[in-house]
Amino acid sequence: MNGNTTISATVARLLTPAERQHWKLAWLSTVDHKRIGILYMLTGLVFFVIAGIEALLIRLQLMVPNNTLLGPDTYNWMFTMHGTTMIFLVAMPVLFGIMNYILPLQIGARDMAFPRLNALGVWLVPFGGILLHFSFLAGGPPAVGWFAYTPLSETPYSSQLGVDYWAISLLVLGIGSVSAGINFIVTVLTQRAPGMTLRRLPLFSWMVFCNAFLVILTLPILNAALVMLLIDRLLSGRFFLPFGGGSAIMWQHIFWAFGHPEVYIVAIPAFAILSEVIPVFSRKSIFGHEFVAASTVIIVFLSLLVWAHHMFTVGLGRAVDLFFVAASVLIAVPTGVKLFNWSATMVGGRVRFTTPMLFCVAALLQFLIGGLTGVSHAVAPLDWQTKNSYYLVAHFHNIFVGLIVFAILGGIYYWFPKMSGRMMSERIGKWTFWLMVIGFNLTFMIQHVLGLAGMPRRTFTYPDLPGWTWMNMVSTIGAFFMAAASILFVWDLVASLFRGKPAGDNPWNAWTLEWATTSPPPHENFDALPPIRSRRPLWDYMNPDRPDPVVPAGGPLDTFRPEKNAAGVITFIISEAGFFGVLILAYLFYNATPKSGPGAQVLDVLKTSIFSICLFVSSFTIWRSEVALRGNNQGKMKVWLAATIVLGAIFIVGQGLEYWTLFQSGVTVGLNLFATTFFTLTGFHGLHVCFGLLALLVVFGIALAGAFKNGHLPALGPVGLYWHFVDVVWVFVFSIVYLWPLFR
Amino acid sequence: MTTQQFLTSAWTWNTAVLIAVASALVTYVWAFGINQRIVYLLTGVGVFILTLLSPLNALAAGYLFSAHMLQHILLLLIVPALLLMSLPRWVSLGSRSWFVANPFIGWISGVGAMWLWHARPLCNAAVSSQLVNAAQVSSLLLLGTIFWRQILAPRDEQRLSPPGAVLYLFSACVACSILGILITFSPVSVCPIYAQPSADRLGILNLIQSDWGTTPDKDQQIGGLLMWVPMCLVYLAAIIAQLARWFAHSVPGAPAMNKPL
Repeated sequence: MNGNTTISATVARLLTPAERQHWKLAWLSTVDHKRIGILYMLTGLVFFVIAGIEALLIRLQLMVPNNTLLGPDTYNWMFTMHGTTMIFLVAMPVLFGIMNYILPLQIGARDMAFPRLNALGVWLVPFGGILLHFSFLAGGPPAVGWFAYTPLSETPYSSQLGVDYWAISLLVLGIGSVSAGINFIVTVLTQRAPGMTLRRLPLFSWMVFCNAFLVILTLPILNAALVMLLIDRLLSGRFFLPFGGGSAIMWQHIFWAFGHPEVYIVAIPAFAILSEVIPVFSRKSIFGHEFVAASTVIIVFLSLLVWAHHMFTVGLGRAVDLFFVAASVLIAVPTGVKLFNWSATMVGGRVRFTTPMLFCVAALLQFLIGGLTGVSHAVAPLDWQTKNSYYLVAHFHNIFVGLIVFAILGGIYYWFPKMSGRMMSERIGKWTFWLMVIGFNLTFMIQHVLGLAGMPRRTFTYPDLPGWTWMNMVSTIGAFFMAAASILFVWDLVASLFRGKPAGDNPWNAWTLEWATTSPPPHENFDALPPIRSRRPLWDYMNPDRPDPVVPAGGPLDTFRPEKNAAGVITFIISEAGFFGVLILAYLFYNATPKSGPGAQVLDVLKTSIFSICLFVSSFTIWRSEVALRGNNQGKMKVWLAATIVLGAIFIVGQGLEYWTLFQSGVTVGLNLFATTFFTLTGFHGLHVCFGLLALLVVFGIALAGAFKNGHLPALGPVGLYWHFVDVVWVFVFSIVYLWPLFR
Repeated sequence: MTTQQFLTSAWTWNTAVLIAVASALVTYVWAFGINQRIVYLLTGVGVFILTLLSPLNALAAGYLFSAHMLQHILLLLIVPALLLMSLPRWVSLGSRSWFVANPFIGWISGVGAMWLWHARPLCNAAVSSQLVNAAQVSSLLLLGTIFWRQILAPRDEQRLSPPGAVLYLFSACVACSILGILITFSPVSVCPIYAQPSADRLGILNLIQSDWGTTPDKDQQIGGLLMWVPMCLVYLAAIIAQLARWFAHSVPGAPAMNKPL
């Protein structure tokens, strides 16, 4: 086969004949989960190169003492951009890409539940990434670290636009992640093939499902923190500025309430890949499926409970420290259960050390090290000594690179044949693996020692202390080994895409449904599915004489299959509740004691009560509208819908009037903490009311156009749910902001 | 007074508590006889007695908010759960009443009991008034039972299905955590009666504040943290039990699956 025909054959696999006419749009406008998955991964790869170069620059600067390659400012830019990019633009998109590609296939679905929402999610990633990197052209990127501690990230200390770009970009990415999380949950709940009960979900799908809950619960917390920071920076708010009465510690609490679960948001998909690859290459089903599955739920739960262990050095007091030491150490139990189960799966199996398996075994070992140093950080006194030293850097790179990147590489070597129809090269793969593992351990193992010797992180250079120089040199050399491995890996990807051996449907003799279709799968995924009675349907199909024991249906929720749109809106509402929860807590915290300047007494409770009643009544009218729709009475339905819109509009106008009066009397966002929290909370509620009104207007437009027949207007129910939610939020906001001060 | 003197001397005698305990034991034996599950009842009764008669109660009566919080958790979460677990599996818990059977009501009972009794006037009144205190204890037991019924009803069909139960417990934990977080970081006193103990009836204020180092600020923080962390661990334990229930009947023949193929 000469070069040209190989290329055209590859192109044939990337595009269907009909699409070759408009090939530019075929991938840009795609709503196919497989292409979206690949777009996610390619975007992640681009940013991996960028953040990797930043990492190499950091290591070059630190190669020798008193180096002047990067100045202090540039160095700060580099580690901030490296951290932010690697987490939000590499780890999350690549994992979302793998999940996007594999999840629907593994549960026997045709696509994700909301393909267009899926496309929105993937395109928000380059949008957010470009926003973040645009800061290079707008006065310099952020220089505040990936967690952007206040007050450093506030205007007086970071007056350039870098932090604004950082916050807006993360907000965009956060919205994209929430949309993906909603999609994963609803896909698992509503798109499973017949017979695929919740308990029959393979571990990968189960973990993606659990993880999606973590995504929709915690990303909104970050979003709330980001809007508060932006209000501080752009509207001179006072949330996190101590001299304005705000609390800088508050930022740390909110950030880590997101930041700690975030580690698990990227770690659980890595666990999911390990749980898929290790059994296949041990030729055994996973040891203790139930324990691995249940421990995932426990990890999700515990991860939400322990964020304060990131703040031991803040000085929260011994009482707080003690509780969080205890809770943090507990996480070692469910993760330990997983490690033992993966190890026990290999014991007595016929282990085949292919490239995917090698990466996963290495991930397991690196995770053991990273996990143990993690437990050491959970112990407050030890944490005081090692926090902000290279010991911490070594710890979290063991998790982020050792576990997560290795698992991703393992996952890509494992599923590339499915995605492309071709095998990756085992020879280059082994080279990549050894270069990567040796490079990683050269780079980061020695940093444990450097950290214990006292080398602080985030400092652009260091004096020529005994031992520091050669250890840093070793670390830098290791980083270049990893760079070489990455180049080899990309080369292998490209070369295999064009010249790899044909893979066939199931090259690894795996057992889950993604291997029951062609490689790459057709647009509709499956022509026919094998019967699903256990967690390894393909094994049952290929070995009818000794199938896995049937997993019986366990109760009504096992086969639970809610209506798609309602499930989507309810999931969305859960995430929105998290967002408002943070804003409400912030309001309560900052207004617990009266502040100087105007407080809640400037509000006109009577007027707002009247407008509030309008809003509450609109919940009733939209319910009547739904009842009328069910009764197939279209005229009544439209009248009630119109009434809802009018009542909602009255409420918004009332809010506008109140804002106007306040502005007239000089109460603006930046005046004092009361004003900042008041406008933030009620403003975001008002924004949601406006979105609700828009949605209602769209539904009303559809209704007026008569575009539905036979009482079929599926949008009304979900929009109604959202409208009720907006009203319920106002019950809380109204009671706390307006009524609570009357009873104090 | 030293700690040891305090721990030996601060036990209280409460006839109502003892009558309640005795009648519970008699009723149980009369209705169900003596069976293995009576161990749960005895444990529950033991916890109940320790909660209300031990020095913990003396501390909760005006000295330490955190002691009050521990009582609150034990009475709402531990004692009712043990009582429900002591019932034989055939007992039906009135599912005819929609009120008791509705998971939403159960959830509101458990979470509401937490929030309501920490409203400032109620929290103060429960310390200063015997009557309110008695109402608090009984309401916690009752509401706790309604809450746990969804999880621990003796009959399997009267319980929530495991995934639903996990969401039920998880959201209850979140709702209580929020209150715990508020109490932990609140710059004002949630229950001012503990911040300024009016009368040092037992003469232990010095012991608590100097020897134990429990200042009112720290005391409130510990109270909030008890609600935030250990209380969630109680829910977590229940979640683990639910997961065990969920995955339990799926492993017949599992050993065969774990042989190399």
